[in-house]
Amino acid sequence: MPGIGRKTASRLTYHLLKAPPEDAQRLARAIQAVKERVRACERCGNLTEHSPCVICQGARRDQSVVCVVEEASDIAAIERAGEYRGLYHVLGGRLSPLDGVGPSDLTIPGLLARVGDGQGVEEVVLATNPSVEGEATALYLHKLLVPLGVRVTRIARGLPVGGDLEYADGVTIAEAMQNRREFGT
Amino acid sequence: MPLVTVRAVVLQSFAYSETSKILRVLTAEHGAHALVAKGAQRPRSRFGGLLEPFTEGTATFYVKEGRDLHTLTGWDLLRNRQGLGRDLVGFAGASLLAELVLRFGTEDADPRLFEEVTAAFDRVLDGAGAQCEATVVAAAWRIVVLLGFAPQTESCVSCGAGVSADQSAPFDPSGGGVACLACRPGRRTLDPVSREELRRMLDPGGETPNFVRPRVQRDLLRAFLQHQLAPERSLRSLEFFEEQLAE
Repeated sequence: MPGIGRKTASRLTYHLLKAPPEDAQRLARAIQAVKERVRACERCGNLTEHSPCVICQGARRDQSVVCVVEEASDIAAIERAGEYRGLYHVLGGRLSPLDGVGPSDLTIPGLLARVGDGQGVEEVVLATNPSVEGEATALYLHKLLVPLGVRVTRIARGLPVGGDLEYADGVTIAEAMQNRREFGT
Repeated sequence: MPLVTVRAVVLQSFAYSETSKILRVLTAEHGAHALVAKGAQRPRSRFGGLLEPFTEGTATFYVKEGRDLHTLTGWDLLRNRQGLGRDLVGFAGASLLAELVLRFGTEDADPRLFEEVTAAFDRVLDGAGAQCEATVVAAAWRIVVLLGFAPQTESCVSCGAGVSADQSAPFDPSGGGVACLACRPGRRTLDPVSREELRRMLDPGGETPNFVRPRVQRDLLRAFLQHQLAPERSLRSLEFFEEQLAE
């Protein structure tokens, strides 16, 4: 289990052994329920109990903007920020030839269908990770999306808010300098 | 447990546990190694964006005898190659070169291999566009030579007879080079121009040629890699590279 080392595993085991049997059964049922009920949203690929997910069905969501992310967990991170009100599309990874992940392993056809089938999508925000592979994935999608007549944007890269320039790494500073913008825009 | 400080280039980087990364690097003086960068995925890690694929730096790590995974303690940036992600052919080509070294490189020191790989990444980065294909194909051949799989170009792979440079000659990928017309073990025939291009690519100091028939050189490289280096498991990046060239 990710994040569970040997010590933590022992603590959890002893805790469960000491706890009343019904607590362990409740935990077992909860794990079983997660596996049975949670699945990928048929539209965006987000993890949900009910498909389409609450974001796809949200009446207050901006249906004209789709934000493309690598994994469903990225949606939670963007939602926590509370800044974005559009829809999402989960790719299920990023292009990585060395790992054997090519375009056919991602949900690209689903994205193109959503954008191209006249559902009113006007902008696609490419929010793949700011890594070499994430960048290549964004570029690949850009090539496919532009002919469909939508606005294609890329999330900004640079220094983290509250960070200290002195402690930032060279690659991040170089990216921030390359992507600098006119003051006040 | 000696502490080593050496020039290195990241060939592959992937997540390990919640917060760490595993890097597969090629070093100038210690060959190819796997390193664990503890805490590299934490938001305020000192490694930050330094450990991206194709990035070059001075790595400091503890070498543990008998272990396959060493612990990275420091990385000073020498060359940032994030730009490779902004050109799909370049990204695919650099991935192919990295995969060649990852699959067939060893822990033995080979400074020439390190110099060739890093220089090739730079050429791909700087020469994005039309010349990118020739740059990648030429670099792949030079890496193949340095890894010890050089094709035979001057004499027949079957009988050993000399094959004149100014004539077309059959190329036998499974035999590992050209053949004479008498033996003709392969069906693929290389014209003199393509043979000269191949010879220039195999020359460590040679300039990258402008391909007259790019498709011929691409097919030749693929066939040779398939037969000589990766007969059982094909190179994943090669397919992606060819897909990008076709677009």
